[in-house]
Amino acid sequence: MAKVTLENVVKTYGPVTAVGDVSFTVQDGEFVALVGPSGCGKTTTLNLIAGLIPISGGNIRIGDKLVNDLDPKDRDIAMVFQNYALYPNKTVAKNLAFPLQMRRLPKDEIARKVAEAARVLDITHLLERKPRELSGGQQQRVALGRALVRDPRAFLMDEPLSNLDAKLRVQMRTELKRFHQDLKATIIYVTHDQLEAVTMADKMAVMNGGTLQQYDSPKNVFDHPVNTFVASFVGSPAMSLVPLRRVVEGDAVALAGDGWQMPLSPANARKALSAKSDTVILGARHSTIALHDGPREGAVPGRVYTVEPTGDVTFVQVHVDGAIVIASLAPDVAVRSDTNVWLGFDQSRMHLFDCETQMALT
Amino acid sequence: MSGRVDGWRWAGRVFLVLILLFTAVPMVWMLLTSIKSQFAAMQYPPQWWPKEPTLENYTKLLDPTNPVGNDFLRYMWNSFYVSLATTVLGVAVAVPAAYAFSRFRFPGRTFLFFAVLLRNMFPAVVFLMPLFILMRWLGLVGTHGSLILTYLTFGLPLSIWLLKGFYDNIPIQLEQAARIDGATRFQAFLLIVMPLSVPGILATSIFSFIGAWNEYVYAATFLNRQDQLTLPVGIQRFFAEFATDWPGLMAATFLMSVPVVVLFLILQRYFVRALTEGAVKS
Amino acid sequence: MAVSSGPVTGSLRRDDGLLRRIVTHRADYAYVLPALVVMMVVIAYPIWFTVDMSFYKTPASLQLRDRTFVGWKNYHTILTAPAFWSVTLNTLIWTVASTFFAFLLGLGAALSLHREFAGRAVLRAILLIPYVISAVAASYLWKWLYHSDFGVIGALSVQWGFTDKPINFLDNIHTALPSLIVVNIWREFSFAMIMLMAGLQTVPEQLLRAAQVDGANAWQRFWHVTAPHLKGVSMVTVLLLMVANFNSFIVPWLMTGGGPAGASDIWITHIYQIAFGRQNWGLASAYSVILFIVMMCLGYFYVQALTRGDKGRPE
Ligand SMILES: Nc1ncnc2c1ncn2[C@@H]1O[C@H](COP(=O)(O)OP(=O)(O)O)[C@@H](O)[C@H]1O
Ligand SMILES: [Mg+2]
Repeated sequence: MAKVTLENVVKTYGPVTAVGDVSFTVQDGEFVALVGPSGCGKTTTLNLIAGLIPISGGNIRIGDKLVNDLDPKDRDIAMVFQNYALYPNKTVAKNLAFPLQMRRLPKDEIARKVAEAARVLDITHLLERKPRELSGGQQQRVALGRALVRDPRAFLMDEPLSNLDAKLRVQMRTELKRFHQDLKATIIYVTHDQLEAVTMADKMAVMNGGTLQQYDSPKNVFDHPVNTFVASFVGSPAMSLVPLRRVVEGDAVALAGDGWQMPLSPANARKALSAKSDTVILGARHSTIALHDGPREGAVPGRVYTVEPTGDVTFVQVHVDGAIVIASLAPDVAVRSDTNVWLGFDQSRMHLFDCETQMALT
Repeated sequence: MSGRVDGWRWAGRVFLVLILLFTAVPMVWMLLTSIKSQFAAMQYPPQWWPKEPTLENYTKLLDPTNPVGNDFLRYMWNSFYVSLATTVLGVAVAVPAAYAFSRFRFPGRTFLFFAVLLRNMFPAVVFLMPLFILMRWLGLVGTHGSLILTYLTFGLPLSIWLLKGFYDNIPIQLEQAARIDGATRFQAFLLIVMPLSVPGILATSIFSFIGAWNEYVYAATFLNRQDQLTLPVGIQRFFAEFATDWPGLMAATFLMSVPVVVLFLILQRYFVRALTEGAVKS
Repeated sequence: MAVSSGPVTGSLRRDDGLLRRIVTHRADYAYVLPALVVMMVVIAYPIWFTVDMSFYKTPASLQLRDRTFVGWKNYHTILTAPAFWSVTLNTLIWTVASTFFAFLLGLGAALSLHREFAGRAVLRAILLIPYVISAVAASYLWKWLYHSDFGVIGALSVQWGFTDKPINFLDNIHTALPSLIVVNIWREFSFAMIMLMAGLQTVPEQLLRAAQVDGANAWQRFWHVTAPHLKGVSMVTVLLLMVANFNSFIVPWLMTGGGPAGASDIWITHIYQIAFGRQNWGLASAYSVILFIVMMCLGYFYVQALTRGDKGRPE
């Protein structure tokens, strides 16, 4: 296994910039998730690493070797595709053997490795079938097997679970994680599902519009999003964002809405003061918001819009100053729509963003 | 309501019977005529059913020791040889072109593609004069090469169009996977894409073959030696001398049609798919 | 989606120039080159040759070195000859009638064959045979059916009392062209059938069900659901039939040679007659150029109809 380094990587298609100036390093044995909304350049980034499309600018290294102009076959990486890309006219066994045949391994060694991979993935009974005779989950395993049979320097996976049904997806998620731990493999894993990234990855690279937004551990990305995009993309339900006015009176700083003010703690006051304009965006996750049925010191008035019980918790959407804030309650607490409530924000766990740059204030 | 539905269904059945008669009766009559003696065929009113059926017309055509049969078999061999060469060369040229049209975006790609398609629009006859001159210049007049080259270009636009449709349906990820698995671009094409495009290649091959087998205009113009003629021209020359030998002509026509009909029946699925490919998009 | 909303934006390379793109894609041209070379030789050269030749008077000996430049004279000759208009009228009747009836029969057959029933595949195969066999075979076959003395059609029409003696179909200026059109329809209707059958398969079953639930009868379902789905295929089919008919040579040439008295002469047979009967290549070339122009117009619609929804794939 090897580390993978991207330095200022750029890919343009005519006037379209699919990937713009992306840099990050995946350490040897690390599981990195590349997340972002559809069309943000994840697949393109992965294809650039694989060498399937020519790079427009920047450098890609696998291990310490610059691979910019290397053919995919010479990069020694394995890839799992979203639609599995199993060779439809070959049996499962032949699919698994193909990468080894291409590398001119002796026949008996090929047979041994294929059998081994099939055993690990529990697909031995499927070896003589054609891909179209397999279920989605089985195809997925074969695709994984084809990557596993040889030991490549890194695994690239492009939304490998997105074609599976929900239950199977959760199961495969666990297996993939286990597989990573056992093999100590370097894995770059593309997904548009932030939950997959958070649950599996050592680090996540959040992309939007072709650029890298944040590259950090899931915990840090969750706790310290660098901008409003990351804040709203990671976590479910999304972090609530409310643009508010900044009011300064002497030493005291407060955020003001329509007919109310929320005084800020000294730490938050400092952050708010560093904003470029008088509008500051307040961000808070549902679990850091307390819901009261009467006015409180520092609490913010709102009106209940909908109540969504999920069993474990009940999510309450509250209208605050024209924005929607999502708070959560224990399932046994009753709230009704169109009643007035007061929201208490946890000052130590709330986020403030600059309205102009959308960047986190620190 | 079900009464009306049945009404439509009955109308459909009646229509099918009529159209089947329209299609089949001429062909049946061809067969019936071909097993009559010349005397029996030339009667009024006609013998609806041959009173003394005979295979004499066929045995004559297929007997290499008979001068008529000798010529006929030679024409058939010529047709086969020209059609096969056209088909093989056509596939060899069309496959890379169609693949490129399907996969790559290069400047002028769209323009080139329509140039290829437009070739379909021009009738054979108006190209006869320039192609005749061209073949004379290339020294190919009076050779089968002139026909093969001409048929090749006539078949190419359609072949490329058909094959492109097939390649469009092969996910590009398969090639990508192969390249990651250690194949070069060419190996990925050869080992993964080619086997998958066999139906497309079969479909185009049938088209080329049938087109070449049936062609008349160029064959009539470019060839001059008796022993070079292909069937469509051959049987014409053959029977112009005995213009009245209708049973013989019908037998020859039948034998000429057998290979294409058999080919069509065996590979019907591909033929139909080829015909409709591109024109019908769901 | 190219606009980056994030804060990080490096300096990006702009669109590359055409020359650069051609250079970077140079390997791609290798794939199309063989096809291109063949096409260039056999398309570009003939078109240039024909246009060039159309401005010359050529000797009947076909020694083209001895040609003389005559400007637009050939075109003038064509457009003022009375034969031009009668041939054009024949061509129109031939093309339109053949296309119309072939399409109509094809549509009827496609609709009748759409429903699954025993023997459907066999029936479809039989109906396709006339389309598969050569036009030469079809021409001789029908020439025999139409035979003035021993033809089965004439005999049947007497037998069933339509006429009192066999008709001389191909040697009568009133019946020659219609007789040829029948042959053409016989050969071509199954092409329309197969295209429309494929088109019918794209009609969503659910829509038909929905229409049925909404109370539409069979005719209304055809008109409001099926017909709109067949529009694209029908366009392509009609255009292909028109092109094929406009260009068809073998059937009229082998069956009547354009006769009697030019009654079944269409453009293509006329051009062939001028070029290889009268050996007047200059005039024939001018005729061909006019035909090119007509074909280009049809070709325009053909490409329009054909390229609906054809999007090339990236990389
Ligand atoms: N071959 C191509 N030509 C032009 N634009 C492309 C091409 N491939 C991808 N793009 C564009 O690049 C952007 C990123 O695409 P992609 O990497 O597939 O996104 P993701 O995988 O994150 O959904 C998209 O806007 C897409 O339209
Ligand atoms: Mg993608």
